Amino acid sequence: MSVYFQIEEYHRPRDLAQAVEILSKYGKKAGVIAGGTDILPLRPGVKKIDRIHHLVDISKLELNYINNEKDTIRIGAATTINTIGACPLFLSGPYRALSEAAEGHSTTTIKNRATLGGNLCNASPCADLALPLLALDAILVAAGSNGEREIPIENFFLGANYMALDSDEVLLEIRIPQCSEKTGTAFVKLRRQQTAIDMAVVNTATFLTINNGRCEAARITLGAVAPISFRVKKAESMLVGAKLNAETLQKAAATAAEEARPIDDIRATAAYRKKMVGVLVRRSLETSMRRCGS
Amino acid sequence: MKIDIKIQVNGAWHELAVDPGDRLVDVLRDQLNLTGTKEGCGEGECGACTVNLNGQAVLSCLMLAVQADNCAILTIEGLHKGAELHPLQNAFVSEAAVQCGYCTPGMIMAAKPLIENEPEVTEGMIRRHLSNNLCRCTGYDQPVKAILKAAEEIKGGGNV
Repeated sequence: MSVYFQIEEYHRPRDLAQAVEILSKYGKKAGVIAGGTDILPLRPGVKKIDRIHHLVDISKLELNYINNEKDTIRIGAATTINTIGACPLFLSGPYRALSEAAEGHSTTTIKNRATLGGNLCNASPCADLALPLLALDAILVAAGSNGEREIPIENFFLGANYMALDSDEVLLEIRIPQCSEKTGTAFVKLRRQQTAIDMAVVNTATFLTINNGRCEAARITLGAVAPISFRVKKAESMLVGAKLNAETLQKAAATAAEEARPIDDIRATAAYRKKMVGVLVRRSLETSMRRCGS
Repeated sequence: MKIDIKIQVNGAWHELAVDPGDRLVDVLRDQLNLTGTKEGCGEGECGACTVNLNGQAVLSCLMLAVQADNCAILTIEGLHKGAELHPLQNAFVSEAAVQCGYCTPGMIMAAKPLIENEPEVTEGMIRRHLSNNLCRCTGYDQPVKAILKAAEEIKGGGNV
């Protein structure tokens, strides 16, 4: 028996109904596993793994897909980060922030296993993929014993490593509304070293739609500077309806920094994080603006 | 409770009974005696346990053995053909890319899918690709040179 990772039972449900049945039966003692890259490093003595006695593997639920439909792009929750990073749909146009976040997420070996749903359900305050999805106003689809429901991503994150799914629910799909050609997005991540493995000191994704020189929509998201990933709406409102230039972007970035609520930790001080929010958001907005309509 | 799994390792199928908490690295090393795959940090930082799963580089400490059920796994022991070493192994020898050797199997298994799938491998690509493989002897230059050399050879139609 592994001395590192102990679990009573490993379940491999054939379909969603069976998965929900197992999750309902074991409640908080059960945890969903997809790639496993967030669960496996946990050790006995760490609160989260101590409560999990049953793992429910969702690999047979066929949740690995990217479908480009008329109004929506639908991504299966068990789609790997590398699949998203390599998907041509996200390499150019308005969804660019998604491929940039997938690229910046970690290393090839981890991204070959780690999944989009896992990155969201782990609900880390610095989850890279959460930010472009917040910026793109994604809808999350989950299913449990009460059937299927849609959760706007803004309501999904409740606290550090704490999200809105009930213990009998499985995240099935991430839906991204198709957006205008006049939209540009970007993702920027700051880490301590230039390695691909460290988590973000600060990360951000931004979304701008510009029509006839005026900003029609703006979304600015921040990670690693609060218990959850979130949108800074005061900063966003400064851009909507405005004519964008270096000065307006700079002012919005400064407001975003004011809205950040970082803490001191092993990666950086709160003061440094706040300052970097201003820099990263400005750069991300500048890139988003350049990408509008391209 | 043990779980029955069937995995293909270096070309041969094995039917095994594993504990639900057994990681792939545990089963490779302890049940199949394939100790070429090393465990370093056990949490996905160092890359010493890198193997190929259905042709992709993955960390065998970050997946459970049961997750590999019905999959094809390639470890460092499966690279050579008879007495002939794989171009990556030859290049690691000729470029003196091995110091203590602990990170070497992981580096080679991380490099293999890259040089086989990328038509034009550059030094930058190799460095980025191997950023999950730590060498505590800090000898990174030689492995990068070795991988470039192996990539050239494979492009020229060497033994893959």
